Amino acid sequence: MRNSIPTAALSEFVNEVSGNPEEGLMSYGIEIDWESGTRARTSTKPMLVGPHKVSRSFTWKADEPRQLMGNNHGPNPQELLLSGLGSCMMVAFVAGATTEGIQLESVKIDFDGTLDLRGFMGLGSNATVGFPEINYTIHAVGDGTPEQFEELHRKAIKHSPNAQTIVNPVTLTGEITSEQIEG
Amino acid sequence: MTKKPLYGDATSQPANHKAGGWIDGLDRSRKSGPFLESHPMDTMGMSTKAVHAGTHDDPRTGAVGTPIYQSSTFILHEETYGSIEEGFGRDRFIYTRYGNPSQWAVQEKLAALEGAESALVFSSGMAAISAAVLALVDKGAHVVAASDLYGGTFNLFNQEFPSLGMSATLVDSYDIEAIEAAIQPNTQILYFETITNPVLKVVDIPALVDIARRHNLRLVMDSTFAPPPVMKPLEMGVDLVVHSASKYLNGHSDLIAGVVCGSRKLVDMVWPRLLNYGGQLDPHAAFLLERGLKTLDIRMRAHEQSATALSKFLETHPCVEKVLYPMLPSHPDHERAKELMQMGTGNVTFFVKGGDQAAIRLLDHLHLPKQATSLGGIESLISLPFNSSQASMTSRQRADIGILPGCVRLSVGIEDADDLIADFDQALNAITDMKGAA
Repeated sequence: MRNSIPTAALSEFVNEVSGNPEEGLMSYGIEIDWESGTRARTSTKPMLVGPHKVSRSFTWKADEPRQLMGNNHGPNPQELLLSGLGSCMMVAFVAGATTEGIQLESVKIDFDGTLDLRGFMGLGSNATVGFPEINYTIHAVGDGTPEQFEELHRKAIKHSPNAQTIVNPVTLTGEITSEQIEG
Repeated sequence: MTKKPLYGDATSQPANHKAGGWIDGLDRSRKSGPFLESHPMDTMGMSTKAVHAGTHDDPRTGAVGTPIYQSSTFILHEETYGSIEEGFGRDRFIYTRYGNPSQWAVQEKLAALEGAESALVFSSGMAAISAAVLALVDKGAHVVAASDLYGGTFNLFNQEFPSLGMSATLVDSYDIEAIEAAIQPNTQILYFETITNPVLKVVDIPALVDIARRHNLRLVMDSTFAPPPVMKPLEMGVDLVVHSASKYLNGHSDLIAGVVCGSRKLVDMVWPRLLNYGGQLDPHAAFLLERGLKTLDIRMRAHEQSATALSKFLETHPCVEKVLYPMLPSHPDHERAKELMQMGTGNVTFFVKGGDQAAIRLLDHLHLPKQATSLGGIESLISLPFNSSQASMTSRQRADIGILPGCVRLSVGIEDADDLIADFDQALNAITDMKGAA
């Protein structure tokens, strides 16, 4: 298997979804419970791969550093956002390399982002609340030519669901249910 | 005859990729197999398939039948070198733990008989069952299964699953509402047996298929008690069928083997478990299983004929309390059996008057059936659940699953019905004072 991905099975799956689009619908869910202060625990819900249920028994915690009123017990939400973005780009990059017949030796993606907390704090300024810009560098070593790696980079971003969610407007809908208890 | 060497399934080739495209440019699609060569037999009868499907004469010498490829490894060639790298190692001969022509021959025969796209043989029924189940579950998974499962499968769920961080809920296979109610958010598969042991319940397969589809689950069924001439569960919508091939499929009580049959997609998911857990069938055993399978259809007819005649006789005998044979109107599932089963089998369960002690005396007076566990062999086998297959249960636990005192588990072989009836007649009479009964 090249890059530990079976190309034949990848091809078979792509052609299966082409003939039966229902098999390409992935449904995900997570639950986040507040633990204490800025710390919260995330649990994955079972996902659907096409019409087939898959158990996903994973949990992790997010926290803020002490300087931001937390206890530094886990990565913070911004790091997890970049992790979700970069890990998705990684899947696309490796799947694309495998498809092209490129054997990878190593791939590292280095991310940096700066945001201005005045937006979060509501202090009057022109600062955006979110990241105005995210920077990354992919360090790839393998038997592809520089031109192939550049093309792979372009295609990986174009086909990465998380990268496309970040760069395009996305509808965020939500509601709240509440219960008032006697203080 | 051909001199062209066979490196595996010649129709299986690496995925081509259009230069400059994305992964949608990969052109390899899934297909049935792997098979030694194209051998379409879809329109043919069960016995023709049993004889011919998968059996390919030796291309070098013209010897009729599949040679025994008693070899652990295969000479590598340009055709095989890249198959692992390109992700289709299952379709080439590399090493016998991955695949071997003797295994492929019997797998193709089993796939043709079950109406499956693909099949895998294993060194035992439990090797097949554990690989099939573990291929379809993930970390934290839950399974809903029958409460009267075969003991080996029960042990997989009861002893191994908790160690793997997985769980199973066992439910009466008659209670469709309870089966559905047992489904949890992390449930991935339903696991049931088509005909249960020893009370021979005929399970409502269409209802299980419906539940599995509505809850996005896979349905795995053990059809050891209902080989393809009796039932083809895949055609009813079951996702994977497993068998202990040591029983009816091989039919001669001289081999331990297992099989998984289903879509190519799912059997390809089982194949890595076969590699990792290592339950491959030895090529010599594969040959024996292939030879046994050739007479499957004709053997089943003989089992049915003798079992039907003997069941009817037992039903009329005054020393017999009750007979359970699904093809007799007295069986509680007779209507469903007529709907789901193409024919009867050799399995008959009956209850003698006088309880377990009378049953022990009965076995001692019989000459033809062997006192042994297992089933589906050409020789009749007889045993008592209370001191063999269900010996670890209390009498109340046994009663809960229908094993009342005096329960006798009989697998009728292919002996002549008259000889079996005469033997049971003399033995039943010998354990009572009722001289000349029946």
